[in-house]
Amino acid sequence: MKLLEYEAKQIFSKYGIPVPKGALIRAPEEVAAHLPELGGAVVLKAQVDVGGRGKAGGVLFAEGATAVVTARDLFAREIKGVPVREILVEERLAIEHEYYVSIAIDRSSRQPVVLFADAGGVEIENAAQADESAVRRVVVSPLLREIPPFLMRELLGGAPKELAPVINSLYRAFQQKDAMLAEINPLVTTPRGVYAADAKLIIDDNALARQGIAVNRDLSEREREAEKHGFSYVELDGTIGVIGNGAGLTMSTLDLIEYYRGRAANFLDVGGGADQERVMHAVRLVASMPGVAVIVVNLLGGITRCDEVAKGIIAADVAPTVIVRMAGTNEAEGRRLLAENGYRMLESMDAAVRAAMGVAS
Amino acid sequence: MIYGDKTLGVIVQNITGRQGRFHTELMNAYAREVGGRGVVAGVAPGKGGQEVHGVPVYNTVKEALREHDATASVVFVPAAHALDSIMEAAHAGIGLCVVITEHIPVHDAMLAVAYAKLHDCTVIGPNCPGLLSPGECKLGIMPAHLAARGEVGVVSRSGTLTYEVVDELTRAGIGQSTVVGIGGDPVIGQTFVDVLARFEDDPRTKAVVVIGEVGGNLEEEGVRSTSLPVVTYIAGVSAPPEKRMGHAGAIIEGGEGDARSKVRRLAALGIAVASRPSEIPGLIREVL
Repeated sequence: MKLLEYEAKQIFSKYGIPVPKGALIRAPEEVAAHLPELGGAVVLKAQVDVGGRGKAGGVLFAEGATAVVTARDLFAREIKGVPVREILVEERLAIEHEYYVSIAIDRSSRQPVVLFADAGGVEIENAAQADESAVRRVVVSPLLREIPPFLMRELLGGAPKELAPVINSLYRAFQQKDAMLAEINPLVTTPRGVYAADAKLIIDDNALARQGIAVNRDLSEREREAEKHGFSYVELDGTIGVIGNGAGLTMSTLDLIEYYRGRAANFLDVGGGADQERVMHAVRLVASMPGVAVIVVNLLGGITRCDEVAKGIIAADVAPTVIVRMAGTNEAEGRRLLAENGYRMLESMDAAVRAAMGVAS
Repeated sequence: MIYGDKTLGVIVQNITGRQGRFHTELMNAYAREVGGRGVVAGVAPGKGGQEVHGVPVYNTVKEALREHDATASVVFVPAAHALDSIMEAAHAGIGLCVVITEHIPVHDAMLAVAYAKLHDCTVIGPNCPGLLSPGECKLGIMPAHLAARGEVGVVSRSGTLTYEVVDELTRAGIGQSTVVGIGGDPVIGQTFVDVLARFEDDPRTKAVVVIGEVGGNLEEEGVRSTSLPVVTYIAGVSAPPEKRMGHAGAIIEGGEGDARSKVRRLAALGIAVASRPSEIPGLIREVL
């Protein structure tokens, strides 16, 4: 889960990373109360989860009393379609130099990887693409509690040594907060010292519980229903509903629909142990999406009981046509139950998707 | 075949759980069918002395290994305790640890893999279906009846999609040497590179099917590393960016990991890329 800038900064600050003085506001008028403490020159930053926020108009500068007007302007905007509900108001830093630092997970070496660049800011990705040597990169053993000095020297090159403790604090936050990504861009030097001018933190979804982070997302009714049953569910905009078991097989079914020039309405992975109850809820959920004319159920596995699946489909009793492809135990019984109730069970996913195309068009 | 044969002795960690029980029975049914050793002992802290489908249960891996000759372990331990169990197995001298458990935090997975390496223990998974060498051995949850013994290796990040491909191959009369599910998480013990290196050293394997997904670029890294003929299939070409479809690994990151660009890069290397699973047997015949 990606945290907002102010949430990430609160965490970074706890790990000893200096962040600019700031305050979170939810209405334009609130800005006035914070001005004395923040000084005359402030920066207003929309707290929205979009990339390229600055370029999209989500960061504005203001002086003194005009800050209220600027805040009103920012609250009225949509940043890449996302309305602005919270603004982080911060003191403006006297920036001497901008650096880039991030810690991510290197899938290839299965270790944390630390990236550092002498030039930070909004153009870092383009700069890195243009010149690979612009970004230095070290991998750190996950068994270590901090970045050892020899790796830190390699990482920093000629950059000021005073950045090292901040980078190590970021490393500790990355480790202890179960982060997938911890990034400071830019990490700035000022006459008063080093600051994290921006902050990005993505927490591993598999670690939210032990981090005590409650997931508070804006879920639709159908998404909430899917979450309740433990389905992995994504809505798309086509007409062919999809239910599968396993992420790979379900994705592959979606790809096959596209291959035959159809459009999938959704992705729904029922997960392991597709029993009668789960299948029934899955079928009803997909059938409740507007515009779904046909549903492809594609279940495969050694332990999937086809008779259970068949009973679930029959019990769901939905309006859209349900086309079934399944393999597992009790296949003959499943096929008999489905046939008796007027459902089609096909031998391959190609055949099932082609049949669905026929119904959808 | 790679990672082990009929002579491989296996322990199951959390053998008393629902999954552990169920799959111990299936693994041993397969072992009986092919004349292998199968699961010789189980581990569940506090449940030592019990039996699961005739398999003795011990409190620790160390105790199990004192009484039984086993070099591999299959882990069904819940995510919160999986790191501890993998370390326990590695520390006790297990050489191959197959981790079925899903939803293990990625930092735990990194620690588990790093710690296991210190003890010369190979980790497959987490979040994987395990491995199956038809006619030899089965470690994990793959449905064995879909597979047939042969000369094609299969390595995949998916579970059920692997079964789909194995089923297609078997129906087309193409048998498999070993089928390995490496897991769909961002951090996994054995990557495509590692598994392909084993296939390269395996005299039986003549060609390999590589089944990938959106996310990362490890398929390409693997394919580049082998001299064996390879056929690939990448799931997720229709996946919209930034939408997470199930696997933690199956999320598109900054353009590099999306399925379409993967397919493009593989094709540019001169690798056969199937556009749907049913094309795989035909493409394998062409490269064999």
